[in-house]
Amino acid sequence: MVQTVMTIAAEDEMPVGKRRSSLIRSPQFSSLVILIVLLAVFAIADRNFLSPLNISNMMAFLPELGIIALGMTLLLTAGEFDLSVGAVFGLAPVVVMLLVQNGGWAIGIALLAGLVLCIAIGAINGLIVTKIGISSFLVTLSILLVVRGAALYITQGFPLKSWDQPGFFVTLLAGSFNIGAFRFYTSLWWFIGLSLLAVYVLRYAKLGNWISAIGSNRSAAVARGVPADAVKIWLFILTSVLAGLAGMISAFRISAASPVAGTGYELEVIAMVVVGGTALTGGRGTILGTIVGALMLRAIRNGIVLVGVPGLAYNIFVGVIILAMLILHALLQKNAARS
Amino acid sequence: MMQEVLRLQNLQKSFGSVCALKNASLTLKEGEVVALLGDNGAGKSTLIKAISGFFPIDRGDIYVRGEKVSIRSTREAMDLGIETIHQDTSLAPDLSIARNLFLGREPVNLKWLGVFAPLDLAKLRDAASALLKRVGISKKLDADALISTLSGGERQSIAISRAMQFAARVIILDEPTNNLGVEETHGVLRFVKEMREAGHSVLLITHNIHHVFEVADRIVVMRRGEIVAEQTVADTDLLTVESLITGADLSSLMKRAL
Repeated sequence: MVQTVMTIAAEDEMPVGKRRSSLIRSPQFSSLVILIVLLAVFAIADRNFLSPLNISNMMAFLPELGIIALGMTLLLTAGEFDLSVGAVFGLAPVVVMLLVQNGGWAIGIALLAGLVLCIAIGAINGLIVTKIGISSFLVTLSILLVVRGAALYITQGFPLKSWDQPGFFVTLLAGSFNIGAFRFYTSLWWFIGLSLLAVYVLRYAKLGNWISAIGSNRSAAVARGVPADAVKIWLFILTSVLAGLAGMISAFRISAASPVAGTGYELEVIAMVVVGGTALTGGRGTILGTIVGALMLRAIRNGIVLVGVPGLAYNIFVGVIILAMLILHALLQKNAARS
Repeated sequence: MMQEVLRLQNLQKSFGSVCALKNASLTLKEGEVVALLGDNGAGKSTLIKAISGFFPIDRGDIYVRGEKVSIRSTREAMDLGIETIHQDTSLAPDLSIARNLFLGREPVNLKWLGVFAPLDLAKLRDAASALLKRVGISKKLDADALISTLSGGERQSIAISRAMQFAARVIILDEPTNNLGVEETHGVLRFVKEMREAGHSVLLITHNIHHVFEVADRIVVMRRGEIVAEQTVADTDLLTVESLITGADLSSLMKRAL
């Protein structure tokens, strides 16, 4: 009897303690601590870092890569990744603006066509990866070249003439508003809304359980009746659509579309995701971590310039900081496994 | 007379020009443990994959409780009450025990949301704890623990309890004692006996003939895609079974050697 009571007491207490220690050990928590440290260092080194203007600047760029990173997190959690996002980021707005400027299409229809194009690119990625069974690295690398090449070809390599037609859709994607001395873009709302959705899906929805299971052990998920291929294809489509959406937001914000926009973004986005604590090998994904990762890379890029690191040396610092984060995650992971 | 649960009739399956399964027929009764034996490449895996819906068969019929069925997906197999536990591939290591137990059959609120429906986390956790308690491993394991923190035997217990929980008619165990320690192996064999007592039918695939004699009622031997022998455990012995598997007449060889 006494023993039973003790067991029950132990069972009641254990999860709380466990949860607290697992929170502290979790990768998103250590990323958050490092983000705070980084912000503090930059703020001390240059007091303009936390000025309304600079914060507004960071918040203008953040959603564009952040939105892609949300899709990439889900995709990576399912065990695949997409290198074509930077190219899609470039192509989608180019197509939309060309259709309006040269084709005389209504902007709403052109935007829709741009999204359909993104869906098609994502579907091609997903179908080849799942149905033919080629690694997503190779497939999306090839698609990157095709998509980037297409953007260059249809524009003949020149940026489009600048966009001069404000309207509902432009405001919806890239409108801005002021809160006190801060100036924010509507894209921030997109990022916040999509982040909440992504957190919900990955942590609380049935689909999230499937995504993690597929990335963790695909055959186990399939054996339980999870439609792994369909889930992956939809995630490729989602990632492509988000990349296109981010590209349109960016193009409308600066009122110009360039065929080389988004070059190198695929690696920056993957860096954001893994720095946040999502496993490159699949199975373990965290949207909160990705948000922290996106903030961190944004802050690093911005802070390093303010602190006065020479522009050409700048990537050295970015690389070193990312590497340090990954080493930290690996060590924490090792520690957790040992205990 | 025990009732027939699963009957396979003349199953045939080829991969390209390779005939992996030739005219395989097999009957499984309620509360019966049948051991499926055979060397590597004998067609055991093909047979169980066909039953558990990994690929369609080319020819032949499958009957569940006397009714002819077609199994086109793992989902359909599960819905017919056929649960398969694969060597070490049945669980997702990065998911908690509770989430693994209900993978593919998650309890949800707001069902109309489809795949976006929120998991009923309280129910998930409670059901998982109750299940762990019932199979007697609650003291050590927390339903929220990740599978990656468990030992091989614990993982196998989780996979087996998952199959039992959904009241499967037929439980297929694919090499369940591979990579397990002695004690863990005994735990799994005890589980097999419990499954039989609970009325489940078990198809046990293993390389370890000693385990077969410990738990099985009947032995089915496959060679080159064909079922070459079927015997009750009581009517046979280790040497006979070994010669059936390899195709060489070991017992006469042994006699000659002696």
